[in-house]
Amino acid sequence: MSTMYHHLPVEAYTSQEWFDREQRLIFSRSWRFAGLVEDVPGPGHYISVQAGLNNLFIVMGRDHRLRAFHNICRHRGTQLIRAVGKTQKALTCPYHDWTYDLEGNLISVPDEEREFPGGVDKSCLGLKPASVDVWRGMLFVHPDPNPPSLAEWFGAVDPHLGPHDPNELVEYEEARSSYDIKANWKIVVENYIDVYHLSHLHSDTLHMYDHAKAKFGWEGPHYHFWEPPSADYAKNLEKNLPTPRVIPEPHVGAWVPMLFPGIGLGASEESWNLFIITPLGPDLTRIENRSKLADASSWEYSKQQWSSWSFWKDFGGAKYKGEDAQGEDDPMASRDFTAEDVYACEQQQKALTSPYLEIGPAAKGESPILMHQQAVLEFMEAQEKRS
Amino acid sequence: MRDFHPLRLSEVRPEIEGAATSLIFDVPQDLQATFQWQAGQHLTLRFMIDGVEERRSYTISNPPWAPLRITVKQVYKGKVSHHVAGLAPGDTVEVIPPFGSFCLTPQPMGRRTHYFFGSGSGITPLFAMINAVLQEEPYSVAHLIYGNADEPSILLREELEALQDRHGDRFTLRHVISSPSMWSWFSPWRKGRVDKDAIAAAIEETPPEAQDVQYWICGPGAMNRDVKTALMSMDVPDTRIHMESFGGTEAENDGVTGVKATATVRLDGADHQIAMAADQTLLQALQANGLSVPYSCQSGVCGACRCQVTEGTVHMRNRMALEDADIANGAALSCQSLATSETLGVNFDR
Repeated sequence: MSTMYHHLPVEAYTSQEWFDREQRLIFSRSWRFAGLVEDVPGPGHYISVQAGLNNLFIVMGRDHRLRAFHNICRHRGTQLIRAVGKTQKALTCPYHDWTYDLEGNLISVPDEEREFPGGVDKSCLGLKPASVDVWRGMLFVHPDPNPPSLAEWFGAVDPHLGPHDPNELVEYEEARSSYDIKANWKIVVENYIDVYHLSHLHSDTLHMYDHAKAKFGWEGPHYHFWEPPSADYAKNLEKNLPTPRVIPEPHVGAWVPMLFPGIGLGASEESWNLFIITPLGPDLTRIENRSKLADASSWEYSKQQWSSWSFWKDFGGAKYKGEDAQGEDDPMASRDFTAEDVYACEQQQKALTSPYLEIGPAAKGESPILMHQQAVLEFMEAQEKRS
Repeated sequence: MRDFHPLRLSEVRPEIEGAATSLIFDVPQDLQATFQWQAGQHLTLRFMIDGVEERRSYTISNPPWAPLRITVKQVYKGKVSHHVAGLAPGDTVEVIPPFGSFCLTPQPMGRRTHYFFGSGSGITPLFAMINAVLQEEPYSVAHLIYGNADEPSILLREELEALQDRHGDRFTLRHVISSPSMWSWFSPWRKGRVDKDAIAAAIEETPPEAQDVQYWICGPGAMNRDVKTALMSMDVPDTRIHMESFGGTEAENDGVTGVKATATVRLDGADHQIAMAADQTLLQALQANGLSVPYSCQSGVCGACRCQVTEGTVHMRNRMALEDADIANGAALSCQSLATSETLGVNFDR
């Protein structure tokens, strides 16, 4: 009898077998975040992205439409496909120069007559099509050429994601980062959607929002969350925003949804942020952060910085101060909510291997954790039935 | 199915100062199901004018939940269009129920970007399609690039503008005017024609967000060809382009000649052997033999005379009503088909 962590056995967070099943049944069977639309800015541009077990390739044609294919040359399977040529009309694999057109049809095989005396039936050797679509300025890929549409997948949760239009915003390159957390991806998700911890772990780092007034819920496997500014912050909100507004008044608050699987958004009055969770192993998870801000002049930024300075100069502090802190590197003294979260996730992962582990009761504010575990189970079950 | 039904006109409305006429039909309860249509389909009307039977196909210019309506543009010296303009509410017109394969079936949970390229009265099926998208595909967008000679000849202009007001986030409307009047305040999106430059500019201005992109073209044959060529030169695959030819629909003689042939025709459960001359279309040969098959436009546009080739081969002069896949499966239009093999098997029963 394995130890249960609410709805899931502890092995779900520690074993290679669970990790492999999730890779196969969740991350290789769902829409994966592939980047921002700016990453494929014009005809001929392309990117490739790992989505679960699949490496997918996105390229834009001169009609400005994106195409997605499995990045597998139909010759030896090499993941080397590139778009080349002046008009970028051709996709080639540099290994043996097999060439495909933008619809994935194999159009040329070098030295065909000499190397393949029996002939090559090019019509059966096209690139395998996948799907790509755009939602709120984000690229999504799906390994299936005919998946449920993004409208079916995100349609119901979309109205809860805030009034932001990321297409109108510009990326804040300095905020782009990637780091690994030594914890299972579900631990990271659970930390992201745990409402109970906000007032505690982040008691002195995220209190510009009023966690007691948070509204949260689910649409299918997708979690949505909104909370208003705290009284102090709201008193002079327009003055207190650190950078110019990205949504029209009177919208206020923070929208922090977690789309399935592991696609975290964090949007507020003045920014729109991505928190993309990619499992690397049972106890290792990659985070990619990207951030978009208002498309405003540097003068407007300076003005907002000036006006908000008095609010932020005394804002926040360390969770543990003075003698309570364990030296300078203690994440609990970092004054940084991300460092606090990473620390909590990694310490929780460590605990999962203890034979004495026993999980206590879940708080109301932790109900999203149970719901997410349920979503994971249900998604895998549905996919298992399909295959 | 393809029989004529008498329908009463509930409304006859002049459009663009009498240069076009909209007819709205009263469909009785027992014919409602028969007269259901998909956005883009058309009706065939039959008139007796000066003792001669005239048949014409007109696109239904309303989406499927609105009243059954066609909009007929006046043709210079056009017998039928003048006759239509003289009709009055209460008159009865003989009508074949809606059909046609140039149609847009809405996908309620689909997410598509539709580009519509139209000119002149080619707007009528596109208008029905745009309405269908805006009403029944809530996650899709529609872009219309609409060419006309001048401002006064823009059909359905107010209705298009109303759609833009109501669905500004999902519908863009761009007018292309070829001979703008100096005295007009109207400033179109572009002057000239719906050509390669206009198409490239339109797509660059409003690139697709939803990546399932479909292209719908409806105008005179020459415009359709040009738009299709322009799209394909921009890497648009054939399978995403849908078109129907409008105006100038007389059968083009493309110089191909047929051969003298014997055709075995299955019609209403019976087999008939008929002789076809080298320059005779299948429809002409059938009529010469006193066989009655459904037909309408006689220009390869409407698809009413569609049949299945079960043996031998035919050459079609025009085949706008068929998709390439239909033809690969043996479909043919009898009004456009010349025999290219000496024996022919044709089936009208499926």
